[in-house]
Amino acid sequence: MSLLRLENVDKSYGNEPVLHDVSFDMERQSVEVIVGPSGSGKSTLLRCVNRLTEINGGEIYLDGDEIHSVDENELRRRVGMVFQGFNLFTHLTARDNITLGLREVLGASKDEADAKADDYLDRVGLADQADSYPAELSGGQKQRVGIARALAMDPELILFDEPTSALDPELIGEVLAVMEDLAEEGMTMLCVTHEMGFARSAASTVTFLDDGRLVERGPPEQLFENPEHDRTRAFLGELNGLNNE
Amino acid sequence: MDAVLLQVSDWQFIFNNWQFLALGVVVTIMLTVTSLTLGFALGFPAGAIEVYGDGWLASVSNTAGVILRGTPIVVLVVLFFFALPIPRLGTVPVIDLQLNAFIAATLALGLRSAAYQAQVFRGAIQSVDSGQMEAARSVGLSKIQSIRHVIFPQAVRRSLPGFQNEFTIVLKDTSVAFAIGLAELLTRAEQLYLQPGRDTAVIEVIITISAIYFVLTFTTNRALDYVHSQYAIPGGTE
Repeated sequence: MSLLRLENVDKSYGNEPVLHDVSFDMERQSVEVIVGPSGSGKSTLLRCVNRLTEINGGEIYLDGDEIHSVDENELRRRVGMVFQGFNLFTHLTARDNITLGLREVLGASKDEADAKADDYLDRVGLADQADSYPAELSGGQKQRVGIARALAMDPELILFDEPTSALDPELIGEVLAVMEDLAEEGMTMLCVTHEMGFARSAASTVTFLDDGRLVERGPPEQLFENPEHDRTRAFLGELNGLNNE
Repeated sequence: MDAVLLQVSDWQFIFNNWQFLALGVVVTIMLTVTSLTLGFALGFPAGAIEVYGDGWLASVSNTAGVILRGTPIVVLVVLFFFALPIPRLGTVPVIDLQLNAFIAATLALGLRSAAYQAQVFRGAIQSVDSGQMEAARSVGLSKIQSIRHVIFPQAVRRSLPGFQNEFTIVLKDTSVAFAIGLAELLTRAEQLYLQPGRDTAVIEVIITISAIYFVLTFTTNRALDYVHSQYAIPGGTE
């Protein structure tokens, strides 16, 4: 059974349609990269999966469970999310950003939660920053804490919403390295990103979304080298142009 | 007034009556504390209700706030004192505290303060970035847990400057209890210069209590500055 299954998903904001009839399946331990022009509905798609926003039609299944049949807090525990703007809790240290969910949602004791948080901070290379507050960290460090926060909840799937778009170019690499490690370890990841290098090296499948429709989907080599659709080709051409500037 | 200003004998008179004024200071501080406590107890939830509540509760809170903020505080104090059926509870000796006047003043100052504190908290809650709530919900925290562990701790810190302002206003506005004869600082000041032959001391007495109000507001503001700095988030909130 696929871990995530979208069936004919429709979503609109008021009268403004955002997603039309989007369907795809993601296998466990796969890495799905979604690309597309801004406004194509990529972020909305992610937010539908953890119900930060509700779909208007179709179904979404997580490991066979229709997501509306699961308690929303339980669903979100099972689906981690990493944000473009990091969204670290500004009043908590890096460690406590991670322990809050462990203690309040999973009911861990303080000692268990602290130990687990430090373990995950170590995994993202930030063992020495456990007591730092978000405002004391660089963008790349903040995002790595954001990833550790999502990981520590032991999710079945992590959603990445343009995790490197708000970063200075020199800080992107450290975040992508963490994401590549995760992919190698078998974490199931659904990523909206413009990082084509990451898509080529880590993605199992790349999906091109345009104007709320799934235009084309395939392994990275196929989608990047031999796209079937003109729109895909045009978009990738623009993206390459930008990347080579 | 042809009296010689700032006569030594008038200052001597005030100095001789310092205990009489000090008891007024005690009442002023008590009234400030009870009013602010009532204001906080009602204003904090009201601010949260105006942000998160829906329907009638939010509109009740909103309407009450508009009325309280739109009424002069002296009017509220006098109205509550004469219109509310507060039982005659007698007088606390030594500080000469008339209990029903104290209750009426606490209700008037406290409710008015609640209306302003609600605005302070509402603004502070709304100033917390919406990404904080999204991140909290995305970890699996319920809305209530998110408000309690993520939004409130940040909002309370942000509301401290506004609360500090409110503290100063309430402290000074306790003087309107003068209108219902509560023996706070201003009332006692008047009782001093209304003594036979002491009308020459009006300005000296007023200057003295102004200085006392100033010292009270200044020291509490410094204390709250210190609290603010102790709870500030290292590196700021970005």
